[in-house]
Amino acid sequence: MPEEKLKSIDKATVELIDKAERENISTVFSRADELKPCPIGVEESCCKICSMGPCRLPRPKKGEGKVRVGVCGATIETIVARNFARKVAAGAAAHSDHAREVVQTFIKTARGEAQGFTIKDEIKLLAVALDFGIAVEGREIGDIARELGEKALNEFGRQEGELVNIGKAPLKRQELWRKLGVTPRGVDREIVEIMHRTHMGVDQDYRHLLQQASRAALADGWGGSMISTDLQDIMFGTPVPVLGSINLGVLKEDHVNVVVHGHEPLLPELLVVASRDPEIRRLAEKTGAKGINLAGMCCSANEILMRHGIPCAGNFLQQELALVTGAVELMTVDVQCEMQGLQSVAECFHTRLITTSDRAMIEGATHIEFHPEDGLDTAKKILKMAIENYPNRRHAVYIPDARQDMVVGFSHETINYLLGGLFRASYRPLNDNIMNGRIRGVAGVVGCNNVRTPHDSGHIAMIKELIKNDVIVLTTGCAAMACGKEGLLTPEAAKLYGGSGLAEVCEAVGIPPVLHLGSCVDNSRILMAATAMVKEGGLGDDISDLPAAGAAPEWMSEKAISIGQYFVASGVYTVFGTTWPTAGSEKVTRHLFEEYEELYKGMWAFEPDPVQAAQLMIRHIDKKRKALGIDKARDRVLFDMAMRRALD
Amino acid sequence: MDQIDKIDQIDQIGGKMSDYQYEEKEDFSGKKVKVLGPTYEEGKPDERGDWRSKLGSREDALRYIRTALRYWYSKEWYGSEKRKQEA
Repeated sequence: MPEEKLKSIDKATVELIDKAERENISTVFSRADELKPCPIGVEESCCKICSMGPCRLPRPKKGEGKVRVGVCGATIETIVARNFARKVAAGAAAHSDHAREVVQTFIKTARGEAQGFTIKDEIKLLAVALDFGIAVEGREIGDIARELGEKALNEFGRQEGELVNIGKAPLKRQELWRKLGVTPRGVDREIVEIMHRTHMGVDQDYRHLLQQASRAALADGWGGSMISTDLQDIMFGTPVPVLGSINLGVLKEDHVNVVVHGHEPLLPELLVVASRDPEIRRLAEKTGAKGINLAGMCCSANEILMRHGIPCAGNFLQQELALVTGAVELMTVDVQCEMQGLQSVAECFHTRLITTSDRAMIEGATHIEFHPEDGLDTAKKILKMAIENYPNRRHAVYIPDARQDMVVGFSHETINYLLGGLFRASYRPLNDNIMNGRIRGVAGVVGCNNVRTPHDSGHIAMIKELIKNDVIVLTTGCAAMACGKEGLLTPEAAKLYGGSGLAEVCEAVGIPPVLHLGSCVDNSRILMAATAMVKEGGLGDDISDLPAAGAAPEWMSEKAISIGQYFVASGVYTVFGTTWPTAGSEKVTRHLFEEYEELYKGMWAFEPDPVQAAQLMIRHIDKKRKALGIDKARDRVLFDMAMRRALD
Repeated sequence: MDQIDKIDQIDQIGGKMSDYQYEEKEDFSGKKVKVLGPTYEEGKPDERGDWRSKLGSREDALRYIRTALRYWYSKEWYGSEKRKQEA
């Protein structure tokens, strides 16, 4: 009998997969067993951008001399690069359209037209206003916010020049981008240009196509994503450390359970407010429930977890399983990473699936559209629907006994504060501890879950290997949630899993060895933390000089490719697991894996084994330490005046 | 007088150091020394670590931005970016 493949390293997840199988409920796990990945598609060797094809160009058989091309003559390099660039465009579009929604709501908030929203973080408002060259002295908050909103919105439609946030990057990196011709002009423009250049018969040079992929990706990381993060912080508060809890055990049998799933934190923020409304609470109690239990899923969860400590039910592969508990009265979904399969799982129970964005509907689900003008009323309406649905539970409820505490909320500003306090806030202690070797380097481990890899296994194996080797980890998205479930987001984890140097620093500062920085748009916080390290001094002049690396061991979405591309184009060595989307072309892969190091001083790598991938990252970190001359312990030399004069 | 004797002496005087936990470790020369153990409070925090609320006025906020976030907002901060020799 063949050994059954491990589906998850999380016990609660396995229990609910088994329950779903017993009850004949289709989930992503059962569908993945039935549907094998297409071997040509997995290498991206198929072109379907015109109706003369689709043209499939599998790798030539051994001894086959003929070079395969598509009907139009397109080479495998062009086809693979076009497919890759389109993934970047889709990913950048997703983050940036999220940003647009946030900016539009921000403008309405500044005008006093958004129900339930206010400007919560004046400090961040002032800082971001300064970024945009807005005068702040002696002006009213609303006035500054209005001007900021309008200027931020202009970043999307800008046709020439440079995105404002590009000015936040290290100076050397900005110069390199200009030299390479990849400085983004406007968010929408770079995405549109990819779609044009990958149309049939336009750009047919893989290096040139991938140059535009970098430009669009940078428009995501330093543009759309960063704008999202900044304006969300202004409206909802910059994250500060808060105790939260995670896993399917956060659902409560005797409460009305509402799961908030998706990415945009606009409606979720109002659901938090509405769930605390005495009238809503009374209504819940009238039905016999003990109250309303709001829980998050995916990046919406990260957003309300970091700002309010709202418990998180799980990450991407757990979304259907939350419904399989039979305890969820209602799930809201907005945009991104929401499986259509949710509706068929919901139909097996009493659960109501509610789509809330004008950009995303699911057949069979109820659509209640969120608009900022009456957002709080909408939030209350949704919660009332959930309460009314509580008596309709028709199955025995089964909630796994799995719930883990975690500390979250490490914005780059909070890291700065924790390292030096209010009056001496600084990245200096981090840089010093990297220079003295207690901390070997920094890794950003981010990204999705992928059902083709045992759920959470890649994240956890990689991150444990990194922290064991004294590499501090910054994490976001579904990777962060995997860490939460494993107990890596608690200060105690430093002693349990960290190397002695890292553990010593974590204990002194009082932080976990793995820092939760937020949702997937919050990868922009990692860019800012890396920039602060560069600007603090002592670790080189550019992000590419830092002993740092990035990874997405369980990536699955196009957004992850865009994130990876902007990290690479920002100078970060970035390792992806699962599959590699340019495997169909050796030349394109070599360009991204090797030639990029010459161009961007950062490059891609692919390694499906998470521990081996961590070792690749550590080797890169060591290479950078050597280049900085901090690879060996050196005695400190106190310079006398004569030695100082000799320096000049 | 070595470190342990000093701590014992303070304890005898009635200082509060006896409330702390100490661990015995080796120093760089291999000598046993008594070092202060964890000093954190037991239990779980019930509030957010809201350090930003400590900044009251607009002036405080702007001063904080120009000093703590000097990497982007100070006109006098150079860090590694403008040094004479490249890394």
